[in-house]
Amino acid sequence: MTIDELGIVLVTGVLQGSVYALVALGIVLVYRASGVFNFAQAEFGTTGLFAAFVAVEIWGWSYGWGVLFGLLAAVAMGLLTERLVIHPLRDASKVTLLVGTAGVALTAVGIQFWQNNEVPIRQMPKIVEGVAATPFGAAVTYQQLITFGVLCAVAVALAVFFRSPSGLAIQAAQQESTAAELVGISVRRVSMMTWGIAALLGGLAGVLAGPNTTFTAGFLTFGAGRALLPGLMAAVLAGMRSMPGAVIGGLVVGVVEQLGTLSALEQVHGAKALVLFVFLLAVLLLRPQGLFVRRAAT
Amino acid sequence: MTLLKIEGLVVGYDAFPVLHGIDFEVQEGEVCVLLGLNGAGKTTTVSTIAGLLRPRSGRVLFDGKDLGRKSPSARVSAGISLCPEGRRVFPRLTVRQNLRLGAWTRRRDSKTVKRQLDLAYDYFPRLAEREEQLAGTLSGGEQQMLAVGRALMSRPRLLLIDEASLGLSPTVAKTVWEVTSRIKADGTTVLMVEQNAGALPFADRALIMEKGTLVYTGVGDELRQVNLREAYLGA
Repeated sequence: MTIDELGIVLVTGVLQGSVYALVALGIVLVYRASGVFNFAQAEFGTTGLFAAFVAVEIWGWSYGWGVLFGLLAAVAMGLLTERLVIHPLRDASKVTLLVGTAGVALTAVGIQFWQNNEVPIRQMPKIVEGVAATPFGAAVTYQQLITFGVLCAVAVALAVFFRSPSGLAIQAAQQESTAAELVGISVRRVSMMTWGIAALLGGLAGVLAGPNTTFTAGFLTFGAGRALLPGLMAAVLAGMRSMPGAVIGGLVVGVVEQLGTLSALEQVHGAKALVLFVFLLAVLLLRPQGLFVRRAAT
Repeated sequence: MTLLKIEGLVVGYDAFPVLHGIDFEVQEGEVCVLLGLNGAGKTTTVSTIAGLLRPRSGRVLFDGKDLGRKSPSARVSAGISLCPEGRRVFPRLTVRQNLRLGAWTRRRDSKTVKRQLDLAYDYFPRLAEREEQLAGTLSGGEQQMLAVGRALMSRPRLLLIDEASLGLSPTVAKTVWEVTSRIKADGTTVLMVEQNAGALPFADRALIMEKGTLVYTGVGDELRQVNLREAYLGA
């Protein structure tokens, strides 16, 4: 194992982890608002990616408008999910809600297959083609750098937003919905807003990760860009509640996963997934409340 | 002048009626206490006034206007604020953030927000000391003070306080009750719900509920007569 090898693990891991962090942020947001793991979080991304691809490659829109269209499609899907699934099931058990979100994910995958079956290989063009740098010999593309930059910007924007009056109102509604209603906050609107933001984060993950490879239906959930499970792991590391934790958790998961590519583990099949699960188990055994949260004060 | 008028209010959960048609009035500028045992329908009454529950029949009139199906938010804007049972502070927000959110309907009126904030700290100096502390780490008494302070932030004309004394020591409960006279002096009418007859000396008038009906209305002094207290409050 050389320093270079570890350097590659770190660089590649952080860049890949940026996508996980975006997905994890959405998972944490929804969990805080609706108390459920959102199976459809990654599909917000794939849906956004498909919409952007159709706009750019089939309708011939410019890249910027295409991406905007993709993000709007993701947000629309998030709002529809809140209206048609989450709100009607608000008094149902969490398991029912969980199955509801899985239903949304499968529906989205189904629509993607049905709508895009004639196009065999879909490749979303990159924002900027080419390699930006090669630290330790790892090729870092402009696309990956931009993704990392967007993650940083999103993290700062969210931190600012959650200290603003609207952000505080969201937190209040999540912590004590009756009391929020009593001070005049519309808990209904807060729920819509949260799902909209979560879907936007998913959409960003989709349009940014998509160009790295060719994509198919279910791209971010179980396809080539699978980020749902690593995103969930990152959210678990964050105790399902901490937003900074979700960002760091995503990057950590990315790096730990890349450890599986070390030459020392060459002979081990599926080393990436193995290393990741061992790491998650170890964390959960030692700190079941997550890495970045204090034990809840009651 | 009548600020709040309840007419033939019937409220129920599913098939079970909890309030069987109650009528009462609260005059502007008084502190009124609604007494009764657990399950008498006190919380149901104030929750309906605040808009959390919808009546099956009957009306709630505030300042002469029927509140109809107005949302809790609209009622806050109209001037009704409920400090709910169990305090329900926002545990992972600071004392100051909790208070500021109490003024959500007036958030664009920074002058009023500032004035109400100062007023809340004036009523409960303890809150000023703990301004930056997370509400979930406060003691029960401090959380109750915070809940009352938060309810006052919208500058209501009518403040409803549901069971402020629940789970508090007699001394702390008294601190909260005592503030009601200052709240009244500053122009807010108070209707508090209590199981604890200890609140009586702090009220201008008392209403007593039993099994979803109003059984007594009168001035607090009359209630000090032992037989009434025994009959309705078991104390």
